[in-house]
Amino acid sequence: MKKFGMIVMLFLLLFVTACSSSTSSSAEYPSKNLEIIAPASPGGGWDLTARSVENVLSSQNLVEENMSVVNKPGGGGEVGWKHLESQDAHSLAINSSLVLTNNLLGQSELTYKGFTPIATLATEWQSLAVPPDSKFESASELLEAIKKDPDSIKIGVGPGLGNDDHLSIVQAASEFGIDPSQLNFLVYEGGGDVVTALLGGHVDAVTTSLSEVKDQYLADKLNILAVSSDKPVEEIEDVPTWKDQGIDLVFPHWRGIMGPPDMTEEEIAYWDEKLGEMVETDEWKKVLENNDWEGFYKNSGETKAFMEEQHKLYKGLIEDSGLVK
Amino acid sequence: MDGGSFVDGLMLSLQPINIFWIIIGGFLGTVVGMLPGLGPATAVAVLIPVTFGMDPVSAIILMAAIYYGAMYGGSRSSILLNTPGDGSAIAATFDGYPMAKKGQAGEALAISAVASFIGGLIAVVGFIFLAEPLATFALKFGPAEYFLLMLLTLSAIVALSIGKMVKGFLAMMMGLTLSTVGIDTQTGVYRFTMDIPHLSEGIDFLIVIIGVYAIGEVLYNLLTIDREKKEKKKVGRVWFTKEQWKRSKWPILRSGPIGFLIGVLPGAGGSIASMIGYTTEKQISKKPEEFGKGAPEGLAAPESANNAASVGAMIPLLTMGIPGSGTTAVMLGALVMLGLRPGPLLFEQQPETAWALINSMFIGNIVLIIINIMLVGLLVKILDTPSKVLYPIIVILAFIGTYTLSYSTIDFFLLLIFGFFGLLLKVMDFPLAPLVLALIVGAEMEQNFRKALLSSNGSFDIFFSSGVSIALVILTIVSLLYPLIFKFFKKRSRVNNPDQASKSS
Repeated sequence: MKKFGMIVMLFLLLFVTACSSSTSSSAEYPSKNLEIIAPASPGGGWDLTARSVENVLSSQNLVEENMSVVNKPGGGGEVGWKHLESQDAHSLAINSSLVLTNNLLGQSELTYKGFTPIATLATEWQSLAVPPDSKFESASELLEAIKKDPDSIKIGVGPGLGNDDHLSIVQAASEFGIDPSQLNFLVYEGGGDVVTALLGGHVDAVTTSLSEVKDQYLADKLNILAVSSDKPVEEIEDVPTWKDQGIDLVFPHWRGIMGPPDMTEEEIAYWDEKLGEMVETDEWKKVLENNDWEGFYKNSGETKAFMEEQHKLYKGLIEDSGLVK
Repeated sequence: MDGGSFVDGLMLSLQPINIFWIIIGGFLGTVVGMLPGLGPATAVAVLIPVTFGMDPVSAIILMAAIYYGAMYGGSRSSILLNTPGDGSAIAATFDGYPMAKKGQAGEALAISAVASFIGGLIAVVGFIFLAEPLATFALKFGPAEYFLLMLLTLSAIVALSIGKMVKGFLAMMMGLTLSTVGIDTQTGVYRFTMDIPHLSEGIDFLIVIIGVYAIGEVLYNLLTIDREKKEKKKVGRVWFTKEQWKRSKWPILRSGPIGFLIGVLPGAGGSIASMIGYTTEKQISKKPEEFGKGAPEGLAAPESANNAASVGAMIPLLTMGIPGSGTTAVMLGALVMLGLRPGPLLFEQQPETAWALINSMFIGNIVLIIINIMLVGLLVKILDTPSKVLYPIIVILAFIGTYTLSYSTIDFFLLLIFGFFGLLLKVMDFPLAPLVLALIVGAEMEQNFRKALLSSNGSFDIFFSSGVSIALVILTIVSLLYPLIFKFFKKRSRVNNPDQASKSS
């Protein structure tokens, strides 16, 4: 019988932990502890964004309620955002373009319309990099070679197709008159692996966030052919933008924050005020600087319009890329 | 290497506050390493908010101490309970647990601590003198080389399953099958996820380790608990014998450099290092039949290798800003938050930070061996704990550890499924290591195989195109044929000594 008892205990343990408590609503906002959902494991970009927001808002006494960061990793944000859907207005979640692309790629039922846009916070820029001894000295030389023989150029990307690293180069290729579905990608686990592959000469070019390659560029370990910003980036002013090279492309890799569906106007206004103040603090500017991010603040109204515009853009890019038939 | 910065770094790491963090980190690492499922990556991640207020140098020293501290701790539960705390501690179960069963738990704990210490020291010295050239060497590893390295690791299964080869290979196939679950990175196609978003990132091998080892072990013992004889297990000495040291000395010295080199390769890490350390020793040993039955060198070798690998993994992080393992990836994120950016510019712009870390690893290993030797006497008492108390604790720890992996209760179901699966395998006498090993390397091995062929436009020549890859192919073939070679030599020696042959037959 002891065996049986142990097995019962195993299951009891399971049920106790599987149950979660529900939440109640109140007139005054915020009326209880606030939580920011990072739809990723601790240590990643989304997690660091969530922790930075929490840290600056609390340490600057902008928000008096207790705030906590909750990690809900899985499914490229899906798990965390699904969780947000069922929460009240005291929970917010970090997002990025994946909130649009997961659905467009047919990987998720959730759409950006199912949430309340709160703000766009920061952006990184995308870069196209080659080894220092590469025969390509400009982005157009590389694209020209791809146009002639797409199989001859292997492009490293990570951690998955359909992300901004991938789609930014898809857009550049289409602007140049190349059918993006012909591009040859090797998909690596993450940004670090992509850079390793480039430094070791295992791929001909990589498309990744600028922060992954900036230090390598400053140390002359690789060459950046183009950045996706609208104007030259600080510290590496000599690197041309896509626009400088005659390709009409500005591609932000933004991060934002959103709330559960149907937040009231007062609740949205609260965050417009608090986050608007937060992005002006020196602490937030320090966060941007440490992470190589650029301020990209848009309030809730602007973010709503921005999301619609981005949705249209991504829809076209994903169709062009050949990922969805 | 630059002498002035070395001394500056040493001074920095010897500051009382940093010594304090080394001790805290080492102790914390030992503890989380011991607990199933709670690994160094989780511990470092949980500490991120704490490091916000810290000096970046102290933060990196603390996080590194947790990392290699966990390598010391990981084998404690492998030896005492046959439940590894992490992938890199699996190899410690092969001979560590049989040693404990023979009443040599104290010796096993002591020898593994000393092996970790020496492996760590070898790696720190290697770091000081070889960081730059090794970082360049690691870059030579392309998809083909990684595929072959993982194939070599899997060939260890042959050495592990002598006597039950068919079951070993079956277990490996199950592991490879499980590794295909999740998004296929090359194409973005979802494989075997059954519309559960949680499965899209695959099945975490740590859940499988905790399930088949910890839960499986508990369930297996439940089947026999009532029949348990009331004999008191002998704990024996808390220090190893001269004979054990003589057998372990060379394996430790050989496995340290092997583990260090593998650790330098981004993505390879402690699991592969300890496994290759173990099989190398088994294959060159004069008494391979004692491996798996409590050979001290079979415990010493992987312990030396995995700790050396954790130091080696710092090289790509510090010199190139590239995380070589799950833990270093979390460390990188945390350090960037603090405004310290590991990468090609670190040694130029903040050499004293880099050297402070390297020196702190030296000090940290000394601190850790003291902590771990002192713990031996305390830990062996676990063996005296009645099963009725011990097993519920293991189960609770297993659940907590699983929850910290992705903060999801779905993992509990997976944990139970794999627990019962592990029980089944144990009852049918399947070896568990091939299953877990195949799951750890399976996904990466497949992706690298396909990346290699994609980059060569389908030509298999790429697997023979560099010196490194040819060496790996030869090592794999030797490793696979090793039982045959072994038999051949045995036969020859029988022919040479007909008396002995007739006696043994």
